Amino acid sequence: MNTQHTNISRLEICRRFVASVRHSTELKLDVLDANESSVKVFMPYQDAIVGNPETQVLHGGAIFALMDQSGGLAGACAIYPEFEITPTIDMRVDHIRAPEIGYGVLCQAECYRLTQHVVFVRMNVFEERNPKNLVATGVATYMRMKLPGANKVVS
Amino acid sequence: MTDALKILIQQCRNGDLPYQALIERVPYANFLGIEVIAQGEELVFVLPKNETNVGNPTLPALHGGAVAGFMEQSAVIFLLLHMGEPRVPKTIDFTVDYLRAGHYKDTYAQCRVTRLGRRVANVQISAWQTRQSEPITIARAHFLLSEETARVE
Repeated sequence: MNTQHTNISRLEICRRFVASVRHSTELKLDVLDANESSVKVFMPYQDAIVGNPETQVLHGGAIFALMDQSGGLAGACAIYPEFEITPTIDMRVDHIRAPEIGYGVLCQAECYRLTQHVVFVRMNVFEERNPKNLVATGVATYMRMKLPGANKVVS
Repeated sequence: MTDALKILIQQCRNGDLPYQALIERVPYANFLGIEVIAQGEELVFVLPKNETNVGNPTLPALHGGAVAGFMEQSAVIFLLLHMGEPRVPKTIDFTVDYLRAGHYKDTYAQCRVTRLGRRVANVQISAWQTRQSEPITIARAHFLLSEETARVE
């Protein structure tokens, strides 16, 4: 079975994959950039994902979901041109500061090591308007499933 | 900062309002569709099967981020309802181990406070679908508590 996508760019694969993930479309995730082993993903501010009704700050869980998805995409970039399903093994997030209210956040995820079975990823989240302001930082591992037919998701 | 939420939390704790009233005030909890069941003194949180929380369309499976968000939100509500926190605690860090696939069905979570310090709470969260002894994910988190309730030990 041909699982390669040499005719489709990394960015296109990432976008197609995100489009197939209902929860990520609910979060309105937008893949801005995809490189050899890294991605940049934007999550806009939405009233629906506010975690604290007193401050209107985005919920940490939504930021976690953004980071989890971005980490998976960074892995997909490293695995390219193959496409595999890569469930998360574990992930840790440190919440550095609350992001600016009313604005989205940017996640940069990088696959710093790819082995036969495991994807190792680091990710950082920054404020939309002040991309120097770190909001959260995380580290995660993903399992390479190598299921036949996985590429159907993005083809 | 107003006291509206603080009063609501107090009413839930006193039994004047159902616990669900607090969940309805938190947009993200509604976004996920979280429910809370009180079994005596125990609180069980429910993430009902909902297509907006799907991550893998082919299996189908729940989005790991949605399950993690559910667990984090459950821990926050738990601290508010059970631990006397009057303000929404801030998540310092959150660590999740994914043990089994989260199938497309109802998911449950329970929280346990390992240590409630003056400013920081350490909470363990376990989520399951079939039986509690077979968690799909376990998590631990640290939350920054408000100065208002800083407990004197």
